[in-house]
Amino acid sequence: MSREVIAAGVVPEEAPQPSRWRLLRRSGGFRAGAAIVGFWALAALFGPMLVPWNPFATDPLHALAPPSAAHWFGTDQLGRDIFSRVIAGSRDILTIAPLATLLGTIVGSALGLAGGTLGGAFDFVLGRIIEVLVSLPLIVVALLALVAFGASPATTIVLIGLVFAPLVARTVRAAVLGEIALDYVAAAELCGESRLAIMFVEILPNVLGPVLVEATVRLGYAVFAVASLSFLGFGPGPPSPDWGLAIAENYGVIAGGYWWTVSFDAAATASLVVGVNLLAEALHQALAS
Amino acid sequence: MQDGPAAWLARRISFGLLTLFLLSVVVFAGGQLLPGDVGRAILGPLADPRAVAALDRQLGADRPAVMQYLDWVLGILHGNLGQSLEFRAPVSPFILGALAHSLRLAAVALVMVVPLSIGAGVLAALRRGTLIDRVISLAGLSLTVIPEFVTSILVILLFGVWLRWLPISATWRAGTGLLGQLDHLILPAIPLVVVLFGYIARMARAGTVEALEADYTRTAILKGLSGAVVIRRHVLRNALLPTITVIAAQTSYLVGGLVVVESLFRYQGIGSLILAAAHARDFPMLEAGVLSVGAMTIAVTLLADALTAFLTPAPVPGEGG
Amino acid sequence: MRNPFPLIDPVRRRQGPRENQLIGEFIAGQIGRRGFLRRGSALGLGWPLLAAIAGAIDPLGTLPARAATGKAGTTIRVGSPMPAGAIDPVTVGDAGGLLMLQQVGEFLVFDQPNLRLAPMLATAWKPNHDGSVWTFTLRKGVTFHSGGMMTAKDVVATIERLADPRNASNALSVFKGVLSPGNIEKIDDYTVAFHLDAPHGNFPYYLSSDNYNAIILPADYKGDFEKTWDGTGPFQIEKYTSKVGASFIANANWWGGRVLPARTEFSFFAGQQPQVLALEGGDLDVISQIVVQGAEGLLTDRRMSIIRLEAAIHRQVHMRCDIPPFNDQRVRRALALTLDRPAIIQGLFRGLADLGNDSPFAPVYPSANRDVPQRRKNIAEAKALMQAAGSRGFPVTLTTEHLLEMPDYAVLIQNAAREIGIDVRLKVEPPAAYYGSAAFGKSDWLDSPFGMTDYGHRGVPDVLLTAPLTTHGTWNAAHFRNPEYDRLVAEFVAEVALDSQRRIAARIEQLLLTETPIIFAYFYDYLTATRKGVTGVAPTANGELYLQSASAG
Repeated sequence: MSREVIAAGVVPEEAPQPSRWRLLRRSGGFRAGAAIVGFWALAALFGPMLVPWNPFATDPLHALAPPSAAHWFGTDQLGRDIFSRVIAGSRDILTIAPLATLLGTIVGSALGLAGGTLGGAFDFVLGRIIEVLVSLPLIVVALLALVAFGASPATTIVLIGLVFAPLVARTVRAAVLGEIALDYVAAAELCGESRLAIMFVEILPNVLGPVLVEATVRLGYAVFAVASLSFLGFGPGPPSPDWGLAIAENYGVIAGGYWWTVSFDAAATASLVVGVNLLAEALHQALAS
Repeated sequence: MQDGPAAWLARRISFGLLTLFLLSVVVFAGGQLLPGDVGRAILGPLADPRAVAALDRQLGADRPAVMQYLDWVLGILHGNLGQSLEFRAPVSPFILGALAHSLRLAAVALVMVVPLSIGAGVLAALRRGTLIDRVISLAGLSLTVIPEFVTSILVILLFGVWLRWLPISATWRAGTGLLGQLDHLILPAIPLVVVLFGYIARMARAGTVEALEADYTRTAILKGLSGAVVIRRHVLRNALLPTITVIAAQTSYLVGGLVVVESLFRYQGIGSLILAAAHARDFPMLEAGVLSVGAMTIAVTLLADALTAFLTPAPVPGEGG
Repeated sequence: MRNPFPLIDPVRRRQGPRENQLIGEFIAGQIGRRGFLRRGSALGLGWPLLAAIAGAIDPLGTLPARAATGKAGTTIRVGSPMPAGAIDPVTVGDAGGLLMLQQVGEFLVFDQPNLRLAPMLATAWKPNHDGSVWTFTLRKGVTFHSGGMMTAKDVVATIERLADPRNASNALSVFKGVLSPGNIEKIDDYTVAFHLDAPHGNFPYYLSSDNYNAIILPADYKGDFEKTWDGTGPFQIEKYTSKVGASFIANANWWGGRVLPARTEFSFFAGQQPQVLALEGGDLDVISQIVVQGAEGLLTDRRMSIIRLEAAIHRQVHMRCDIPPFNDQRVRRALALTLDRPAIIQGLFRGLADLGNDSPFAPVYPSANRDVPQRRKNIAEAKALMQAAGSRGFPVTLTTEHLLEMPDYAVLIQNAAREIGIDVRLKVEPPAAYYGSAAFGKSDWLDSPFGMTDYGHRGVPDVLLTAPLTTHGTWNAAHFRNPEYDRLVAEFVAEVALDSQRRIAARIEQLLLTETPIIFAYFYDYLTATRKGVTGVAPTANGELYLQSASAG
């Protein structure tokens, strides 16, 4: 995946912006992705106001009711309306994942830019640290850290951000190395521009494309990671309608045939990650073309 | 930089060892942040504090952390992975058992996904621009990002609960034959197949496209070789190369990162072992678990790079990554 | 309402308080079978029911041996929780570990499912005049699997080991203040006297299967149980593999006579669902314990039977009495009044639980006094109490554990509390984080103003009355300090006669209803699942599973 992104980065950026935007809008993947993500963003913002039931109201005597006219998606183990909870459940993940991505992209780009431009010992040490991190199963790292620091939205954001940073750094570093080989950097160096100036003024604008693509791709993984962490019990706690949490809470009863307690949350999670990924892919295509 | 294969190997191995050492320090330092102590973890919250103190003393867990770490490093240098505090037994059997479990699951997943995704990728490349290509590309793209727990749930509901074709639990009874074990591993392997399918299919497609456009392919076609032969000789090999890289890059995930799948299917892999060790503050088990995954990743990456170098006409292997 | 689970064998059907009290007395051996039948019919219990109860509960029974009617020589396959660490009788503190210990080991005294003691390795026991010295007579002719005879020196060494603070003993907290090392006296090869720190009416329970560390080991036990597995029980170790499973074979020399199965096989599971599926798929004969959540399918499956034991497993919702917002007992009472307990029991346990009345006296305890009225949901009264206390509601955080139904129960409390303006926020943590260092000042459990803690079954309520509620109690998360309560509990603990215990219990229950430092909303049943056709499986609510009379049909 990083290879293709690098490939996208070294393409000379000459095409004018408007045509690229038009291209993007015409892409079916972009439209579908935008529609899905837009739907969930609206649900996150206004969902709790629109849903037919209070997503938090329990009714233990009507627990595990199958889908019906009253409860479109049925009720969960505490008798809460699953439709209302699925709609309201997008809020946590759509707050945490983008913030984590933002953090990871900023830190990662800074590191990658510095590593690629400065080279030498800094680059070597950075490379080793990235190698250590990449040789670890990320989910295990995240879980260990959450065990150590305790689970909270803030920890999750920082954690996913920091885990993503080296991955972003790797991509950005590669893109920077591709740029450095180009003539304009050498020209700037000849003109006596400082390294720092070259880094920010010359190189950064030219690697923004790959950074943007990488950020969108990372957003997809952030959604993946946040959902997985909440499923493992390190996300928002009860009574949040968060999807991962809902699946974890109800997973135990599905053998009894209560499929509706997890299916809709699973479908919602899947649709959101697919939507984000469609956007990322469309963006990538548009920048690469 | 233009060194021979032996020097290259030596350099890579020494880098790998350095990485492992750094990793052990990171785990050790991280381990200090974990809450609680091993005596309390074993005896439970209601046990008398005097009993907890006595157990910590017996296990040597009351010594300064740096001492424990140095002891452990000394042990490693003598080829001893250490003694589990929680189980009061050598960690090696636990690590090897869990590693074997994880590798078996990874192997089943790979056996399923590699032919499937390479086939799909090559097919998509051959039918570039058609509906089949779009469907394969889009499916791969979408499936890759669906969290394993979602796929697992769907698979469990479909095959385990409704159709009842396959066992939901990945844990087989002692004495189950290989075929029986396979039965238990198919369902948990599917989420991995789903995650990997997209990666590999895209790589295979890209590799094939590149090969199809390359001069030697055109030459071969011009020479009058049949399509099937061209694909076998030139295209497949090119499609395979990036695939190896992708699989290598996913080693740490495939071996140690399956916590979700392991937890859903109750499988005793190395990921769960590491987590359990962290919860119990079983420091030697934690170190050994993480390092074994790290070592595995480094070894596989090395192997993949060597293999790529061997298969690629170009002489100098890259930095890997 | 239609009974949703017609297939469950009730050990005790739910009856009115008078009827339950009578059944309790009968179980506790306070009245004989004839007296039970006579008074039962006076209360209007039907004859079939009376006969069923009298038949199911054998007041003379010793071991949980139903008549061994099943086929001999079968293999019983059991799903068991995963033991948490090394199996060592001194340190074990988890369900999986104690189940393993109890397969090969035996206790001096057996605490039967009906909470009445029966002889096991001791044949008789008696207190001195004030209950401060208890003398146990040991069974003769008992051999360890390794061959030696069990005598007083083994018993002395075993209990000394557990009472010694230098030994990392999980039973230390049980013996603390009750029995100190050095106070166990071997009188002859088959008689042992225990000199207690203070008079104790229920001491034999502390040497019974209630105290799961107290299996009798050879005097020369060296801490290597996983090598020897040396005990006196009906089964001997065949193979044990950490994290995987264990198998046992029948002990031909067992003192108790013939062991029906040839082998038993235990598979360890990290969760309930795969066990349920394995049982349904025919890979298991028994699941040692199931909880209702996630086993709904089993409860209604006609191919399965559920063994249901009324138990004292519960959750304590503590409210700190020493700091706001719960330092006013009217506020605590108001909160307790918001809970619709029957609905909670129905929702969380499908009805398979007893109502709690905000005291540790679970209805299963013969010493519980059922004349004290049950607390019911009453929002009007709750609001009046809040008003009287000058409170219009407040935000407060309920801290609890990520364990079984606890997060769900917390959500139900949150919704109930909203009715009187208390805005409950939830903090759900992994159990290890919740308990922290398990010491005041270093533990969410003991420090949080409002928390919920899991408590397992106990054969007698003594520990539940003292540790979480007395002024110097080590588990007093409610920070409840009431001299009157301390006095009553001391009186209760020293009391030997059940009548008097029940009289004191009434006063304790009344006091706790007024003060309400802890909400006890339910005590849920201990459930064991078996395949239909599997007979003679005998669990206890302590988590033991006796298989010597079992048959896989």
